[in-house]
Amino acid sequence: MNIRDRACLYLSVAPLIAYILVFTFVPVLCGVWLGFAGKFSGAFPSWENYRYIVSHFQFRSALLNTLIITGVGLFLELVAGFFLAFLLTKKFKLKGFVRALVLLPLGIPTIVSAATMRSVFDTQGYLNEFLYRAQLIRVAVDWGDGGMKTLFAVVVSDMWKVTPLVMLILLAGLESIPGELYEAARVDGASALGTLRHITIPLLKPFIVMALVVRGIDAFRLFELPLALAGRGSPVLSTYAYFEYMDYNNPNTAAAAASILFAIILLCVVLVVKTTTRKVLGGK
Amino acid sequence: MKRPLTSVAFAFTLLALAVYTLFPVYLMVKIATGDPSDIMRERPGLLLHSFTLEHFRNVLSSGYLVAPFEKSLSVAVLTALGALLLSVPAAYAISRFPKNVQYGFLLLIFVTRMFPEVGIALPVSVAFIRWNLLDTVPGLVLAHLIRVLPVTCWILLNTFETIPKDLEEAARVDGAGKLAALRHIVLPLALQGIAVAAIFSFLMSWDEFTYALYLCLSEPTLPLKVYYYMNRGNIFETATYSLIVALPVVVVTYALQKYLRSGYLAGAVKG
Repeated sequence: MNIRDRACLYLSVAPLIAYILVFTFVPVLCGVWLGFAGKFSGAFPSWENYRYIVSHFQFRSALLNTLIITGVGLFLELVAGFFLAFLLTKKFKLKGFVRALVLLPLGIPTIVSAATMRSVFDTQGYLNEFLYRAQLIRVAVDWGDGGMKTLFAVVVSDMWKVTPLVMLILLAGLESIPGELYEAARVDGASALGTLRHITIPLLKPFIVMALVVRGIDAFRLFELPLALAGRGSPVLSTYAYFEYMDYNNPNTAAAAASILFAIILLCVVLVVKTTTRKVLGGK
Repeated sequence: MKRPLTSVAFAFTLLALAVYTLFPVYLMVKIATGDPSDIMRERPGLLLHSFTLEHFRNVLSSGYLVAPFEKSLSVAVLTALGALLLSVPAAYAISRFPKNVQYGFLLLIFVTRMFPEVGIALPVSVAFIRWNLLDTVPGLVLAHLIRVLPVTCWILLNTFETIPKDLEEAARVDGAGKLAALRHIVLPLALQGIAVAAIFSFLMSWDEFTYALYLCLSEPTLPLKVYYYMNRGNIFETATYSLIVALPVVVVTYALQKYLRSGYLAGAVKG
């Protein structure tokens, strides 16, 4: 490749890289800077905003809610996604139809699913109606009034929307495992559980890690669903940052909260990638 | 001997799955076409009891639909165009770079995914106040490109990677110039991938909520209308606007199912 061609290639990439730097990395750095700029004292750097939010009851509950929603949600989505992927490795009539059906929630806009889930989890909503019919409750449950119930509503709504994505990743993994391995395990008299533990899960591991990272990042950043279903009563970090900015007109504390969220995401991704790659290397 | 029992259990599982998946979508239609006397009850039934187009008529005649619809549509079209303009040349160039450069680029894109959107939207909205870009179409397009570009880059990089360099070189040996080789060999082969990237960026902008919430104060987009009516407790408008936002997305996503799979996965594997 001559120098002119090479220059052309660099020129073709430059606008995109410039865009990503100016509109993604610069705002993130600005956010970090805002978080360390004292609103009242004007000092920089200052821990003022961080001290304020850490002492704020709402922030502590937002932090806890974020961790619970992410942890519980990820676990349930992985289990359900694995189950769905496993179903779809079977051969049966209408398989193409079932696959299309299972993928349907991926096509529903998040704000629409949030609005619909609000009808489901309303006090006079459809989950309560179902529970009346099943004779599980006699008095309406108020799913939105805070605590574990509300977090449960957020997790279930998120699961409905994104389990298909987890399923797709795990299905690709399951389909990559050669059938002969199962055949050999069967011949050797392995139990179903043994096959799962010693063949499926180890070979699926890279795909599980991928699902964990891709979904984990999004679970930490959930915004529409907690905004619609939990509101100000049970904030998560992203909605807390939104309320601080829009309702209390305090960009500095909002930026500090968003920076903390980013730090948590970064920490988790590095942790997951580090531990899993070391294990893979150690195993080999 | 176990067989009939297992297949009954299997069929039952599939049925339960279908009901669970379809219920929220069904509910949206039920509310949007339900008679108020039937929906606004302490114990709403689970089945369809009434059908009316009254809510659609109200939304259409209210005069509040057209402006948000136009805004959403123009932002989505411009976002798709902008995404192609920035990422087609870039993705092509990167596909011709050595592997380690490609890896570095993908890492960069993956890192942008880790930033919380509320963290990006806040400084952007502060800057847009100063630049008078709040509530404008160009402002929202600039913001939507932030989330759209990584996805279109993934799709397009995968597209260009599958086109062998040899084809291009053969054309040049036959005397075609660099640009002619691009136009007659590479672009036609990449056209499908480019179309998929364009459609995905359109959809990602069409139903985008977070940036719109930060950057639109008095001229909402369609997703903001859903949120607005939801907060006011107008469930019929909420459901009707929801259907209007969701319908094109559902139809197109359904038609593009196989790309949804390879596009997302290829992106995820490499990231």
